Amino acid sequence: MHQPVIKLLVVAMMMTLGISSLRAKPLNVPVVYYKLPNGLKVVISEDHIAPVVSVDVYYNVGFRVEPKGRTGFAHLFEHMMFQGSANVKKFEHAKFVEANGGSLNGHTDFDYTNYYQTLPSNRVEMALWLESDRMRSLDISEENLKNQQNVVSEEVRVNVLNQPYQLFEWIELWKNAFTNWNNSHNGYGELDEINAATIQDVRSFFKTYYAPNNAVLTIVGDVDVAEVRKMVEKHFGAIPSQPMPPAPDLTEPAQTKEKRITQPDKLANLPALATGYHLPPQNSPDFPAIALLVQIMQGDDSSRWYQRLVKDKEITLDVTGGLNYFGNEFDYAGPMIMTTRTTYKPGHTADEVLKEMDAATAEVATKGITEKELADAKIRYRSNFYSQLDGSNGKAHLLSVLALFRDNPGQINSLLTPFEAVTAAQVKAAAAKYLVASNRTVIDRVPEPKSQGDK
Amino acid sequence: MKLFVAVIVLTISTLPVIAQQKTPPAPGPARPLNLPKITEKKLSNGLTVVLAPLPNVPKVSAILTFRAATNATDREAHPGIAQIAAGVANEGTDARTSKQIKEDLRSIGGSLSLGSDADQTTLTATALSEFSTRMFDLMSDVAQHPSFPESELKLAQENTIQQIRAGRANPGFLVNERFQKAVFGNHPYSFVVPDEKSIGALTRADLKSFVTKYYIPNASHLIVVGDIDVDKTFAEIEKAFGSWKSGTIPPDDNPPTPVREKRQIYFVNRPGSIQSAIYVGNVTIPRKHADYFAIRTADTIYGSSFYSRLTRNIRESKGYTYSPFSSSNTQAKTGYIVAGAFVRNEVTGPTLLEIFYELDRMRVLPVTDEELNAAKEFSTGNFSVELASQIGLAGRINTVYTYGLNKNFIEDFRPKIESLTTADIQRAAAKYYDTYRAAIVIVGDWEKVKDQVIPFGEVTMYDAEGNVIKS
Repeated sequence: MHQPVIKLLVVAMMMTLGISSLRAKPLNVPVVYYKLPNGLKVVISEDHIAPVVSVDVYYNVGFRVEPKGRTGFAHLFEHMMFQGSANVKKFEHAKFVEANGGSLNGHTDFDYTNYYQTLPSNRVEMALWLESDRMRSLDISEENLKNQQNVVSEEVRVNVLNQPYQLFEWIELWKNAFTNWNNSHNGYGELDEINAATIQDVRSFFKTYYAPNNAVLTIVGDVDVAEVRKMVEKHFGAIPSQPMPPAPDLTEPAQTKEKRITQPDKLANLPALATGYHLPPQNSPDFPAIALLVQIMQGDDSSRWYQRLVKDKEITLDVTGGLNYFGNEFDYAGPMIMTTRTTYKPGHTADEVLKEMDAATAEVATKGITEKELADAKIRYRSNFYSQLDGSNGKAHLLSVLALFRDNPGQINSLLTPFEAVTAAQVKAAAAKYLVASNRTVIDRVPEPKSQGDK
Repeated sequence: MKLFVAVIVLTISTLPVIAQQKTPPAPGPARPLNLPKITEKKLSNGLTVVLAPLPNVPKVSAILTFRAATNATDREAHPGIAQIAAGVANEGTDARTSKQIKEDLRSIGGSLSLGSDADQTTLTATALSEFSTRMFDLMSDVAQHPSFPESELKLAQENTIQQIRAGRANPGFLVNERFQKAVFGNHPYSFVVPDEKSIGALTRADLKSFVTKYYIPNASHLIVVGDIDVDKTFAEIEKAFGSWKSGTIPPDDNPPTPVREKRQIYFVNRPGSIQSAIYVGNVTIPRKHADYFAIRTADTIYGSSFYSRLTRNIRESKGYTYSPFSSSNTQAKTGYIVAGAFVRNEVTGPTLLEIFYELDRMRVLPVTDEELNAAKEFSTGNFSVELASQIGLAGRINTVYTYGLNKNFIEDFRPKIESLTTADIQRAAAKYYDTYRAAIVIVGDWEKVKDQVIPFGEVTMYDAEGNVIKS
């Protein structure tokens, strides 16, 4: 049954070293995809390169659907999923996974919340049992809720409130770039709202969103499909489905003029600037060109903004960001902005930085890019894509979001195709259409003068 | 092999109703380990080459390691020279400008960066495997012919100074910097970042003579992991690195490591802090020491796994912190343990109390068989996961060569972990969790937390720049 062969990759043609063609090796990820009668989407991908397996559960719920007055709730809830279920005591999920040789975590994002573990492949059923137990029977107490409200409050302090810049390129940029509260609010959460959550909030959120018909279960690694299917049915088959609430309104009005904000920063020593440009939806015909445009403007140290700001003009220290602040092109399902953050040197101004960014953009929007630049950007894009698949966890992530948002995990094998077809003219047109001042929000984060007490 | 695998879409129409299982399922039979096949070769100039095929994605990862440490011989004349040399080496060679290097990398889907730590400088590169020849060519160019253009050096000096200034606003940077100095005292391992004067004083000639001395094939090793064919790849490496001239291996002149004499608090005052960043730790052992496996496993039980004692105590029971952790770090000459957490001001003292309580509990009482067995499974299971990614495997092999470990390290890992007893763990904890002589480093608002801190020991106070503040 088990064939210790490498199935992932097949060399399809003789490769040459010219730069004009894209030489993509077709991906060949085996994908088995089906749904249980309760609506649970199941993805299984065999890979016998090492005796390990990743078991991931993705729920179709993220920051954007949390209730008003409860910023940070989706993330607080993620913590509650480790607080015990009918047969697994508080925090024992971690105990069982680690004592079986694995590692684990959870993550909350704009449009999904996921729980994942990677462990030796002969322990796959342990992971399935643990995930099924909490999907079916999460057990919540007042005491455990209070405990995790404290933990999450410390998380917000350590990652946001006690840090210079306070993640302004996410939290502040989103607050200002978007007008619909579902998109704009602080997904990490305001401390008073995190601490206002009640046990009733937790129960109702669980019942509404943590149902098999709102989830994907993905198993990637050294398993046998037939055997693991039986285990999936045994542990998940009898979990009842739930009626789904109507989809939240995520619509955003079109932005018509630039938003500029200056914020003081009590903790930072150097100024920083963040910009966010609204993007069209992923199914827009412009989208593949935008993904390559992002690569060309800020994807690496050869990129146009990096070269201009850091190397040619020497006014900033770094250029970071990308198309999706937390993830990639495929793992979100709502309005998005392209984010750029740069720390600039004292003695320079935000206007100067913006002027140089705009000059670099204008070159692309008016003169366009060379065929070599386009070909190289595609190679870089393909290489980054493969890096996501180095290890079972990254592959499981991609399969999961394709099942969750597109009902089509098999698309993993043809995901690069639209990006490979992009032309230089499309990249130029995308720059002219989207990288314009009226489509962006800019935040200038300026250090407050230090007080006397600092010495 | 098939070219395409069809996606099977199935719906299961009927299912038996099965009650929720109350107890955890038993493991299945153990699966074959599929340990990577590792081949070691040597070029005639002395470069050690280690190759490990792992064709999970069509990429290749390589690490070229020089014995050029931040703490090497030249540290006294030129503090930070290894760090700056690593930062500027890929900003221009005799044949390529900085921009050409970056564009060449983009055209092979590649990356190339250098970094230096206490024992080594590593040049790490990745690329699509179809472009491996060009990746080796770039690595070789940067290793042999960095030109350190004046303009690039000047920019790197300015930017490094600014980056360090930016870092001094970050409590994580400050607590680590002060901790390394507290634990390693005057030893070169205490180095974190150079001061602004030292950065400014470095010249192009300094850097060139530094790399001529230390970036030499006969004191280096090259680890290559990925979608490769051993013979073909070795031939590519011979072609790229064969003409690299060997040099004289510099002496290893690091002094013996210090021993801490008493428990002491090093407090970095950051007025306005709403949390205390706490590190507690001490000097331990070199990487090759026989106690490596015992101290590593003690650390798993104490604080480095999620279900550790420290996390269960100060996070899951008391809610003091999001981020409790511990870590055992071993280097060529010696290592350190560190336990820590970032906690709200009000629980600074209670957190210190619990960190010490859990450290002392490891010293005084044996861990349970259940804890030890879980820690063993955790270590061996996660080791397998690490070996299944290209970067993970390359990094693991690199430590074998950097620290001169037994070449069977990967095969031996599991039996060494499995042979540990609870007595081994307690003995290691009693010896190395030396709470009597621990360094306690806190970054926080002194006025807000001083009453909670003072009972734990004598305090030396610093500002964010590292100057001692007289109280």
